[in-house]
Amino acid sequence: MSEHLNDELLNALADGELTAEQLAAANEHLAQCAACTSNALFQSLLKSATARAGQRYAMPAQLQERMARMVKGQNAPQQASRLGVWGFTGWAAAAVLLLVFGSIFVFERNAQQVAVVSSESAALVTEACDQHVATLAGDAPPQVISSDRHTVKPWFQGRIPFSFNLPENLPADTKLEGADLTYLHSQPAALLLYSIGKHRVSVFVLQRLSGALPSDVSAEHSGFHVDGFNTRDLEVFAVSDVDPGRLAGLIGAIEQVQDGRGQAK
Amino acid sequence: MWKEKAGENRYSSIKMTLLPWKRVDRRSGPQTSAFEDLAMPLLPSLYNVAFWLCRNGTDAEDLVQETFLKALRGFASFEPGSNFKAWIFRILRNTFLTSRTGLAAQRTVALEDELSGSEDGHAIYPEAAIDRQTPEMNLMLLADRAALQAGMETLAPPLLEVILLADVEELKYREIAAVLDVPMGTVMSRIARARAALRAALQTPPSPSNPPKEVRA
Repeated sequence: MSEHLNDELLNALADGELTAEQLAAANEHLAQCAACTSNALFQSLLKSATARAGQRYAMPAQLQERMARMVKGQNAPQQASRLGVWGFTGWAAAAVLLLVFGSIFVFERNAQQVAVVSSESAALVTEACDQHVATLAGDAPPQVISSDRHTVKPWFQGRIPFSFNLPENLPADTKLEGADLTYLHSQPAALLLYSIGKHRVSVFVLQRLSGALPSDVSAEHSGFHVDGFNTRDLEVFAVSDVDPGRLAGLIGAIEQVQDGRGQAK
Repeated sequence: MWKEKAGENRYSSIKMTLLPWKRVDRRSGPQTSAFEDLAMPLLPSLYNVAFWLCRNGTDAEDLVQETFLKALRGFASFEPGSNFKAWIFRILRNTFLTSRTGLAAQRTVALEDELSGSEDGHAIYPEAAIDRQTPEMNLMLLADRAALQAGMETLAPPLLEVILLADVEELKYREIAAVLDVPMGTVMSRIARARAALRAALQTPPSPSNPPKEVRA
């Protein structure tokens, strides 16, 4: 080979992609051409330098943990739904049972002591708390995984007979993790999954048909905090074990955008 | 350097089909375990490439998460013994293309005359410009990691992804062709153009009028 090596040959040489014949011919030329030898050396050094420079972004530890949980979550039987995770593990089932019966007990006691919420709204809150617990115990990935409100909100198109807005600006350390379609009181609801620090929050959005919830929901239920609000068309409430103030911050951010205030839809 | 051209799409020819990794056999438990064994070690690489493509950590996390979910659900179609790394990187790349960030990247295309030549692989950077560099100067240039990273940030997405797959992930040309769903010749020409662009970027120190792009952490 007497002609100079072109770019593609030099690159293939650096990448180890030349056939034996091509390599022999290239080596024959390199032995007598200083310019091509210099170029070949540069390409080889550039490749290794790029490999080093390209290893730039270290993965956050929490992402590794989340992915590991997600993969392991898929080991659960396919028929296990969010509400049917009793058999997922003995501990999860025991925890869910304890919390369900505990919540019923606490609900009954609260109903006797403080008539803050009606029996219907309490049942709704109980059902929501149960779903929140089941979500935590199930550990299965949400049906839509995204922190982008422009991904999550459109996902519900055609799945629920109403719409809602999601805030772009969230309180500090608060993140949208995804969403699920669920059912509360036998009606479809959007279940928005947020995290506040390491606490997980379930936000339920459903159509205001029955007016089951009072206009300003704020309650304690089985150790969970419940906070929410009503609009003319929607009932929105959140369940979490996070500090009530921080939960109120998230609910406030969601409430603020329902009528378009301070937020483009 | 980059200009938007409405209606043009450098990825328009890319099909969202999976390559010959087909196998219809749905077994949940052992399959998931096999998936875990194959996929978890690749997580740091997937995140690194995702960050390069998305240019921010939050989008990169979303991209990796969605990639994992798709790969997990489609693992039954993966052919054992074939290249899992190429398979999952292809999912990552296709997922990126359909993401908001990816769609924006597709809309941002480079004018051909600014993209260092055509797909036939002829770089516009003259050989003479390279020959003027002595080996010592080349070594000094290549030792500047920040300059090289800044140069990578200025690459068009089709050139950046090919250089990440070839150099960082050390995929072979045929594997890259499978990931990108393009002919091997296109892979070779893109690699040549990407390296020529990097070489030019190294030889042109950043100026106030052409600073390296900022990348959000």
